[in-house]
Amino acid sequence: MAEKMELKSTEVWDGNYAAAQALRQAQVDVVAAYPITPSTPIVETYGSFVANGYIDGEFVMVESEHAAMSGCVGAAAAGGRVATATSSQGFMLMIEVLYQASGMRLPIVLNVVNRAIASPLNVRGDHGDMYAGRDSGWVQLDAFNAQEAYDLNLCAFKIGEDINVRLPVMVHQDGFVTSHTAQNVHPLSDDEAYAFIGDYKPVDEMLDFSKPVTYGAQTEEDWHYEHKAKQHRALMDSYVVIDRVFEAFEKKTGRKYKRLETYMMEDAEVAILALGTTVETSILAAKQLREEEGIKAGVVAPRVIRPFPLNELRAALAGIKCVAALDRSCPMGAMGALYNETCGALATIPAEQRPLVTNFIYGLGGRDFAVDEAKRIFREQKGHADVGHITTHVQQFSGLRGPKLGFYESKRS
Amino acid sequence: MRGVLATDKRGVRELGAEDLVGWDEVTQGVVLNSFDIEVENPAFLRPEERPYSDFNSYTATVASWRVIKPVYNRDICIDCQNCWVWCPDSSIISRDKQMLGIDYDHCKGCGVCVEVCPTNPKSLLMFAEAEEPEEALGKWPEKKKKAK
Amino acid sequence: MAIRSVKNLKEFSTANERFEGAHLLCPGCAHSMIVRELMNATDDNLVIATNTGCLEVSTAVYPYTSWDTSWIHIGFENAATAAAGAEAMYKARKRKGTLKDPDAPVKFVAFGGDGSTYDIGFQWLSGAVERGHDFTYICLDNENYANTGGQRSSSTPVGAHTSTAQAGRVSYGKKQKKKDMVAIMAAHGAPYVAQLAPNKWKIMAKGFQKALETEGPCFINTVSACTTEWKFDAKDTIHITDLATDTLMFPIYEIINGHELNILYRPKNVLPVEEYLAAQGRYKHLFKPENRHVIERIQKEIDEKWEYLQRREEAKV
Ligand SMILES: Cc1ncc(C[n+]2csc(CCOP(=O)(O)OP(=O)(O)O)c2C)c(N)n1
Ligand code: SF4
Ligand code: SF4
Ligand code: SF4
Ligand SMILES: [Mg+2]
Repeated sequence: MAEKMELKSTEVWDGNYAAAQALRQAQVDVVAAYPITPSTPIVETYGSFVANGYIDGEFVMVESEHAAMSGCVGAAAAGGRVATATSSQGFMLMIEVLYQASGMRLPIVLNVVNRAIASPLNVRGDHGDMYAGRDSGWVQLDAFNAQEAYDLNLCAFKIGEDINVRLPVMVHQDGFVTSHTAQNVHPLSDDEAYAFIGDYKPVDEMLDFSKPVTYGAQTEEDWHYEHKAKQHRALMDSYVVIDRVFEAFEKKTGRKYKRLETYMMEDAEVAILALGTTVETSILAAKQLREEEGIKAGVVAPRVIRPFPLNELRAALAGIKCVAALDRSCPMGAMGALYNETCGALATIPAEQRPLVTNFIYGLGGRDFAVDEAKRIFREQKGHADVGHITTHVQQFSGLRGPKLGFYESKRS
Repeated sequence: MRGVLATDKRGVRELGAEDLVGWDEVTQGVVLNSFDIEVENPAFLRPEERPYSDFNSYTATVASWRVIKPVYNRDICIDCQNCWVWCPDSSIISRDKQMLGIDYDHCKGCGVCVEVCPTNPKSLLMFAEAEEPEEALGKWPEKKKKAK
Repeated sequence: MAIRSVKNLKEFSTANERFEGAHLLCPGCAHSMIVRELMNATDDNLVIATNTGCLEVSTAVYPYTSWDTSWIHIGFENAATAAAGAEAMYKARKRKGTLKDPDAPVKFVAFGGDGSTYDIGFQWLSGAVERGHDFTYICLDNENYANTGGQRSSSTPVGAHTSTAQAGRVSYGKKQKKKDMVAIMAAHGAPYVAQLAPNKWKIMAKGFQKALETEGPCFINTVSACTTEWKFDAKDTIHITDLATDTLMFPIYEIINGHELNILYRPKNVLPVEEYLAAQGRYKHLFKPENRHVIERIQKEIDEKWEYLQRREEAKV
């Protein structure tokens, strides 16, 4: 039996350590992993738990991230709890297998400590890897700080392993700003955390020899489409379970999560829509602007990126005047992904309720995003709101050196 | 033509003749169960004792792939099991060390079994697919003299 | 471990087939001869992982499976890791007491073609063997990417025509030597490594059993004659394989613990390699006068290799 760990009600952990603690408490059966900055400490911390008798499961240090996810798939199909962690290039190397894991409906938990994608090589945080996962069929949860990285890991197992979901789940946190910054974290005790997640319930396990099962069959044009539709449906419907798990978690801890987080949106006129640590920066900016300049600013943040909370986003933004969608990943030749999701959601409501929507690319490769920058963006949105149209390019690069960079004009008639 | 020991489920469907069910009825995660109900280790079950599911290729037939087919002549066979060990399509039916015949639902007519049959004349020979086995047996060649 | 008796074929033939017919492999394909033999060599439960390739696309095409055991295919390169992951899960669950039947004997096996073994999945195989997972990896070596229409692999021998190493007016086919995978896997220190062939069914069955019984990672390269890409008549699969082993194009041997080499088959009558080459369309062009030198090169390399293997065996190092 694994040793238990005595935890204080408030610990000072960074996001990586918090995630590793959650994996330990979940009593994961197999962790197959490969190190990469900035997620390495999750794997190392887990390794120290192994070395000191806190883990009963197997810890398999493979030779690449592709193998890490491959090992996770083989292990998950063998009917137990599985998790790993990665970032950036490692995430990109895993991508082939991410699709295979979700196609096989295997509830693996993957911690993605968000980092930019080369070239040029960069170890700092942006959302390039997180965005690259968005069509892969995984549930994607986004933590904005260390506490949330811990909480959402516990929720991730419970969501993915639910008999009505059976899908893999990514828990995202921002590289360095969350992963390497010590913060106060309130953990559950080992027993409470495990009780919250519950025992793993195998489905179609390869180690139940009374029911031989084939995983990974080929499907061609007469079957593939139906399988993909069924998988999409499962991911779409998983929101029901996500809501239920968040509710149970709130009951247990008092900490409330929603698929779409909204801050000061009740009376907001302008808003920022963002992900990751930018959310907390934007909240601070909104508060200051409300106090200092009377701008009714609010913040909207998808906690759950997949399944995308379209209904909730539409409801949150209907009736406000202008929203800036902030994308920390360069869309390369198009509008940012959050911008597109937002416009898509808003296109389904009457025109008179639709806010103006602008797009900012920002913070690439770990470029700092400060409160002042958020304030500037809010003020600019207020300007658009006041004149009733977008007075700048629709897409702008924020915090970039050199001449102003923007694309697309708004068309007014 | 089903061959020996054909069970209710063996080769009952042409490949591609399955029910094309909708997205709501395909299996979760594309998994395929080999059997309908729980089994003891199938290594201890003969095919005719197994609860094959419709997903098991045992229930499908590839007979239409054949243009020629092997015919088995019990009278000459020495039960050496060469044909059994090398048939690529699990189509030589042997029970209790005896060769019983050919599973024509799964035989593709490759002719390997004929090539590896050591008797003289051979106990397996290839004939046109349409040839009746009884007629084929009537045409069996005589023992060949070894060329000096 | 429930070993099947392979004393003679009659006894072996009492095995209850767990690889079902109506798979889609070509008539006469040696892949299935090898797979059947592996599965018939043991009565233990099997967890089998398979790389993308002819075997995989022919035996698990929705809505059919030809496998009466647990089976998984993930991608082209990672069957070794899939088996390793399942094996790790087995260990973890056994320790924690969450297995449905903790006493059921189980063996972990991975199959890959030469494309996945020698080329794209090489790293995955190497990693899994280095980590010491208890599994057996079997390469179905047909010396080309058969599933995608016969392209070269690093296992394709000198002089063979493939669609990406073509014989033509100024080319005699593949120029580079076949990678020596057996030596490479032995160099990993794997406890059991062998090269086997289905025509020598008993040697192959015993080799499979040895690998399954040996704790730790084992690697077996099996010669898998491919009627479609080697271009010979489907009925001749065993005949061609006989030529492969009797010309010593494919010597049959094992290496234990990375060093102890034993030759497992010594042809009474070693045949000239020409006989093997002449029987297959993929070598047809070598019989043109301007390509004769390639046949000589192949024969020379075979002789040298055989000499080397015999010396290794004698020296017991
Ligand atoms: C990552 C990836 N690259 C390429 C392919 C295409 N592909 C599938 S099977 C195959 C060749 C298989 O060759 P081999 O491993 O020798 O098996 P064989 O079909 O010869 O038995 C190729 C190139 C793929 N499926 N995945
Ligand atoms: S012809 Fe081929 S498939 Fe048919 S029984 Fe003989 S060896 Fe098997
Ligand atoms: S190979 Fe010929 S003699 Fe041997 S069992 Fe088969 S049919 Fe009988
Ligand atoms: S192409 Fe070759 S390896 Fe592939 S199924 Fe046909 S004979 Fe077998
Ligand atoms: Mg091949």
